Amino acid sequence: MKPEVILHSFGYLTQAAATTVAVSFAGIVFGFVIGAFVCAARVSPRPWLRRLGGAYVSVFRGVPLLVQLLFVYYFLAEYGLDVPAIVAAIGALALSSAAYQAEILRGALNAVPRGQGEAATALGFSGLDIWRRILLPQALRISTPPLINEFILLIKASSLVSVVGIAELTRVSMNIATQTYRPLEAYVGGGLFYLAINLCLGGLGAVAERRLAGAGAR
Amino acid sequence: MIELAKVSKSFGAHQVLRAVDLSVGHSEVVCLIGPSGSGKSTLLRCVNFLEPYDSGDLHIDGRLIGYEDGPNGGRRLMAPRALREMRREIGMVFQHFNLWPHMTALSNVAEPLRRVRKLQAREAADRAMAMLTRVGLAAKADAYPSRLSGGQQQRVAIARALAMQPRLMLFDEPTSALDPELVGEVLEVMKSLAAEGMTMLVVTHEMGFAAHVAGRIAFIDEGRIIDDGPPRRVFHESPEPRVRQFLQTYHDRNSF
Amino acid sequence: MSLDLVWHYAPSLLSGFAVTILCWAAGSALGLVLGFAIALLRRLHIPPLNGLIRAFIELFRGTPFLVQLFLIYAGGPSIGLKLSATAAGILGLGLYASAYFAEIFRAGFAAVPVGQIEAAASVGMTPSDTMIRVMLPGALIAAVPAIVNMLIILTKETVVLSIITVPELMYQVQTMAAETLTAFDAIFAMAIFYWILVEAVSRLGSRVETRVTAFLAHEARA
Repeated sequence: MKPEVILHSFGYLTQAAATTVAVSFAGIVFGFVIGAFVCAARVSPRPWLRRLGGAYVSVFRGVPLLVQLLFVYYFLAEYGLDVPAIVAAIGALALSSAAYQAEILRGALNAVPRGQGEAATALGFSGLDIWRRILLPQALRISTPPLINEFILLIKASSLVSVVGIAELTRVSMNIATQTYRPLEAYVGGGLFYLAINLCLGGLGAVAERRLAGAGAR
Repeated sequence: MIELAKVSKSFGAHQVLRAVDLSVGHSEVVCLIGPSGSGKSTLLRCVNFLEPYDSGDLHIDGRLIGYEDGPNGGRRLMAPRALREMRREIGMVFQHFNLWPHMTALSNVAEPLRRVRKLQAREAADRAMAMLTRVGLAAKADAYPSRLSGGQQQRVAIARALAMQPRLMLFDEPTSALDPELVGEVLEVMKSLAAEGMTMLVVTHEMGFAAHVAGRIAFIDEGRIIDDGPPRRVFHESPEPRVRQFLQTYHDRNSF
Repeated sequence: MSLDLVWHYAPSLLSGFAVTILCWAAGSALGLVLGFAIALLRRLHIPPLNGLIRAFIELFRGTPFLVQLFLIYAGGPSIGLKLSATAAGILGLGLYASAYFAEIFRAGFAAVPVGQIEAAASVGMTPSDTMIRVMLPGALIAAVPAIVNMLIILTKETVVLSIITVPELMYQVQTMAAETLTAFDAIFAMAIFYWILVEAVSRLGSRVETRVTAFLAHEARA
């Protein structure tokens, strides 16, 4: 095992790590927006919307991410405009993450004690105000730790976009492996970078959990 | 039979037992009463070393429990095997029954007989059945704990402890987790045990039981036993203001 | 994509499906056994061993499955581990799964109410008897839902094996797609296939889970 290989490629790996984080971040942000809509559909009073939301979650959690990624890629190639692979990558990650985030948000909404909404209604709050001032802030607070966890999962999932050629950590590790004929060092290097990113995120998650748990329980 | 001399215990910085002296004689029934957090459960759990005590001496039938003489003249923790042997002779009944949910009532009672007393399956089952009959639950032998009421579960728990033929029984708030209606059936079993001469140390809030069945009441507050005597005296003529205050609020809340 | 095409490729697709099932079953079995062993070893509370275990779990849960596969398949020969793609795939899936199962079993052990252990101690049961007769049954019952969930996740992870050329279903489909230039249709079919498969397995899994938990825990059936 020659650690020098990792050191020499440090620059490339760092750049690739930045790409991984950027792609995952874009995925989770777009995923949040889509997921919020899906969640709204899931909790809607209209049955057809609920079914639609349910179907979305079922499809995007049931189909493996790799299949989703290739599907989006080929779909865009077949019907779409000439978009760079990165669009397919972020799009697939976002669509997939949206399904999980919708469930996280739904769980968070359910976790807000019913009594709070009831108390607000009894005091004469409007429905919109109950949402804005009571339900939403708490739901967002409750969902922050699982969302950070989702970000960690997305960082790992982003390794799959290497198959459509995005120069993120896994792809760059593969390149290093073929160029230096040292696959062990290349993938250990890539793995270490992933670990570093995830350990940071894990720490962030722990901090968030502590601070948010404290703020809520008064 | 049980002798506590200056037993102390702390959980970190918090001292729970302060040099407690207590004795329970053969066939005596002693009830430990006192406010929450006074240390009564901790004291009880020290007797079979479920909680290790820090200092003092705890003897059962003359034998020190939990510790043995160390190589340099000091004291060290008793060997696990010796501790297990001692525990066979001590029966314990818990507030939350602690029956094993994946075994029937009969299996719950028979299991210690098989694993600890090393009885054969047949003999263990027979003895277990006898015990269940003793507590009035022969009909429920094949029921799983989830199908039994709280009172029934606690009686099975008593049968489980009794089946080991212990020399003494420890009861940790045996009826505190029960619906009021179910308390009676458990107290009846305990009364019959006392009548048969079982040595019992009972932590309880059931003053009626304590008044009628206990030979002695020990009142514990903030880790110290501040009164110890026959029920009549402790309940009605205690010299300790703290005891009178505790019983007064109890009377206020419970007489209607 | 015509039916003739699918018929022509049917043997390779079926073989691919068989490989998928093989990898999933073998990988899951390896993961369960290894994960359980790790969970047991952890209970011995030997600091250096526990440190190693924590590092193992962090490693396999903190890095992407694909990178782990590459490491084993492409990097393995450097340390004398020359495995076929399928063997590497099974080993990779097993190691990956074991890290998750180890945590699942740990949670299972933690879920056994301490009172039941105290009851065993109070009658003088040995630690090994307590473990076998009280702890293990309780832990396994508690772990069933999480185990079923993980097994479903593993069925989806098998498609990643195609990237290291394991001849499972995804790989066969992509080969067929490349040879017949029907990439879009093929992937679409795969998506439908996996959706139905996972949905069916999830529903089956829920039913099995409810039945098994109820049976083992002997819950009162209404």
